[in-house]
Amino acid sequence: MYSAKVMDHFTNPRNVGDMPDADGVGTEGNPTCGDVMQIFIKVKDGKIVDAKFKTFGCGAAIAVSSMITELVKGKTLEEALAMSKETVANELGGLPAQKMHCSNLGADALRKAIEDYRSKNKT
Amino acid sequence: MRKCYFDHVATNPLDSRVLDEMMPYFKEEFGNPLSMYELGSKAKEAIDNARGQVASLIGSKASEIVFTASGAEANNFALRGIALARQNEGKHLIVSRMEHHSILNAARFLEKSGFAVTYLPVDKHGFVDPDTVKKSITKDTTLISVTHASSEVGTIEPIKEIAAIAREKKIIFHTDAVATAGNIPINIKELGVDLLSMAGHQFYGPKGAGALYIREGLRIVPLIYGGIQENGRRAGTENVPAIVGMGRAAELAREEMGSRAEHVRRLRDKLINGISNVEKIHLTGHLQYRLPGHASFCVEFIEGEAMLLLLAAKGVYAASGSACSSKALKSSPVLLAMGIPSSLAQGSIVFSLGKDNSEEDTEYLLAEFPQVIKRLREISPYGKGWGIKGEGGECIVQK
Amino acid sequence: MKFVEDLKADVTSDIVYMMCPMHLLKLEENMRELDDGQILEIMTDYDGALEDIPGWCAKTGNEFLGIKETEDFYKFYIRKSGSTRPEKVRK
Repeated sequence: MYSAKVMDHFTNPRNVGDMPDADGVGTEGNPTCGDVMQIFIKVKDGKIVDAKFKTFGCGAAIAVSSMITELVKGKTLEEALAMSKETVANELGGLPAQKMHCSNLGADALRKAIEDYRSKNKT
Repeated sequence: MRKCYFDHVATNPLDSRVLDEMMPYFKEEFGNPLSMYELGSKAKEAIDNARGQVASLIGSKASEIVFTASGAEANNFALRGIALARQNEGKHLIVSRMEHHSILNAARFLEKSGFAVTYLPVDKHGFVDPDTVKKSITKDTTLISVTHASSEVGTIEPIKEIAAIAREKKIIFHTDAVATAGNIPINIKELGVDLLSMAGHQFYGPKGAGALYIREGLRIVPLIYGGIQENGRRAGTENVPAIVGMGRAAELAREEMGSRAEHVRRLRDKLINGISNVEKIHLTGHLQYRLPGHASFCVEFIEGEAMLLLLAAKGVYAASGSACSSKALKSSPVLLAMGIPSSLAQGSIVFSLGKDNSEEDTEYLLAEFPQVIKRLREISPYGKGWGIKGEGGECIVQK
Repeated sequence: MKFVEDLKADVTSDIVYMMCPMHLLKLEENMRELDDGQILEIMTDYDGALEDIPGWCAKTGNEFLGIKETEDFYKFYIRKSGSTRPEKVRK
């Protein structure tokens, strides 16, 4: 069902962990219907310098979290926001149709993390 | 890498003795049982023989067995066939919330066609209370269907008591015995059922053959129309090899049932005891009244499909009732009916053992499974300081 | 069509909802078990039987006594007086 890349990011996820000193935290999802993703970001000079995640969910959910936290590192906040759910899915070599909602979840959790950062750092 | 198949409720490997019995009917004995010449009559003899073997498995007459292509077909046949046959007497049906979706969806279809259906609630173990059945009966009730055992949580239902209530009220009673036939002893006279569904691939027979036991004298509307196969009750050229296989598998199941059940029960109990050492893990169903090879759990803080994938990577094959592991992305309605919060139902995992599982398989699982749980809990936001926020009801704990 | 009431049968056969041509196959099977003079009551919902069963009786020389209609099915009454094999008819 899953591509080799998805399986890789699932069995060896990158960036798992808490970030007590995170600059922005975004939580998306709903445990009653499925997955929950929590994304933590560290921001310096408008760029995401570090990202971590915690996820309750299926293989696709964990793989998406891993990939998205990899992709945002080094990107500006604007670049990160511009990243679409299709980008994440493509980077993973595609997701089965019924798992595409996981990539939505990832993009939304990231957006929330950035909004959280921005609301704390009104410039 | 060791490969351990722990998903026997999904399907069973074919017993080699069954395959041997089937082979001629794929090759030189390819006749159509309705054909006039010897090739046909030999095929007919083979399926009649199989019919007798299947009947012996449940203590019925051979003439009371109708072969179908699957357990799901037998379920549809029973529900629709009886509902329609008795619709002038009443249009109320009773099914439980523990049923397989072949019963639930057939019931929903009948609802849309003008029947009223009561879906019986169950308790936290998944038991249907016979009293609840009694209270749900109306003057319009014509059929009650309660599964013999749930393949999801292993709970064995009080069929004898419920059948007695149905009989007293002159209501037809059907039971889905797909998970039990060939695995635990069944005698239809003792149980008191009017109809009973079975599937060959649940007792080391082939896929493609199921059966419906229909008590002699019961009227039933056919599901599949056409020729006169199965005494005018189920048309279609018979799947002779599969039927022959189901018959042989039934014979072996009857002969070996005691030893098989003892074997899987021992391994199951070892598994349950071993896994219960892991923190925040709950056995679902009932500790005593459960299928002999069935061990189902809900693991807090992590999700079922993820567990299955990590286990599969280690050569362990199991199942889950979580939403993500279903193609439709819906949580198992059975777990929800038992009052398990949907967030906990997400952590569902089901191990169902068979005669081919060994002591070493169990030990391997007991070594690997806690590692899998630990790994996923490291990734999960839940557990440390974050509780599971489910809706109402306590977690179902069975020790 | 002949309608009858209160006919007492020696043997009853319930083949309601069984598909065509069970009404003829079962009829023949049931009639074989009867002694001469005995009456068979065979119950079927199949409309085609209205033509087929009297027709079978004519071919085999058995006496077709009549039918009784109920809400869901027909009851056919036949007295055994002939054979149970239809004479060969070229189609």
